Amino acid sequence: MIQGLVQLFIFQALGELLSKFALPFIPGPVLGLVLLLVFLGLRGQVPASMDLVGSGILQHLGLLFVPASVGVVLYLPVLQANAWAISAALVISVVATVAATALVLKALSKKDETP
Amino acid sequence: MSQALPPISDIWVYLSGSPLLALVLTLSAYLLGLTLYERSQRNPLANPVLIAVVLVCLGISVLDMPYAKYFEGAQFVHFLLGTATVSLAIPIYKGFASLKGRMGVLLLSLVAGGITSVFTAVGVARWLGVDASLVRGLVAKSVTAPIAMGIAERVQASPTLTAIFAVSTGILGAVLGRYVLDALRVTAWWQRGFALGVAAHGIGTSRAFSVNAEAGAYASLGMGLHGIVGAVLIPQAVAWWF
Repeated sequence: MIQGLVQLFIFQALGELLSKFALPFIPGPVLGLVLLLVFLGLRGQVPASMDLVGSGILQHLGLLFVPASVGVVLYLPVLQANAWAISAALVISVVATVAATALVLKALSKKDETP
Repeated sequence: MSQALPPISDIWVYLSGSPLLALVLTLSAYLLGLTLYERSQRNPLANPVLIAVVLVCLGISVLDMPYAKYFEGAQFVHFLLGTATVSLAIPIYKGFASLKGRMGVLLLSLVAGGITSVFTAVGVARWLGVDASLVRGLVAKSVTAPIAMGIAERVQASPTLTAIFAVSTGILGAVLGRYVLDALRVTAWWQRGFALGVAAHGIGTSRAFSVNAEAGAYASLGMGLHGIVGAVLIPQAVAWWF
């Protein structure tokens, strides 16, 4: 288990370094993700201990953004003043996003889906 | 007990000075949220993160604890976000195995969905006169929260607002997605799943998994790819448009 955690931290650190010195417009952890993806591709399988730790963390991914989300207390007045407009923007946008993704997918894959 | 107990206010001063109080508050609120979510047969409206955030907000206002003080303790949980982001490589890698040469089609529809997400959210919000300080928080809201918060820092948006909008989007997508897909007669599970993952990231993905395993695998892939592509393209789009 510790082995998997160390491996994940190393990829996170490599990503942070790459972001700081070469690609500052991409967040470090995302670069770490890409590096790990390349590593897994070369290796051909996910190391067991990394799978254990990674899947464990991802299973409770939601917990990890609670501390930042609680900062919403600082924004309550401005959110209340804009509540309806923000809700409308979120609802319209998510419906449009599901629709756009699904329609493009359906249109482009028509050929290989016909029996 | 040979010694007299210290006055309660001393105990209080000690506890609120250590990170333990914030950590216990955060973890137990999440645990309660998770229990309620399971009890509701995983109804997306009973989202454990939403419940935990509401409980912690109530908790720190009852305790009269400033947010900065709370975060000082809770940052140990927050730190793991980066590690979790790196771990997303694992489900993406596993998803590649089931692709069957659909990568090109998936990427094209992902880009269509991503562009739609940013432009409709920002467009509608501006049209309805939403405060400019909030609008930036909307640009990354369809990206999975840990990556969305990293993007937020790079486009001078508030990571907090971005996380709140991302969680709300996830819940809305998980609730409304099936009706949109039914109305459009999208029937293939892999297409339904991928669309949910692109639009509603982790919360949409767990919804997809609870309906169909193939839909879940593609949703997870949609979420991961949107994270990577979004992290590269959204800051460019913001620089160009704002």
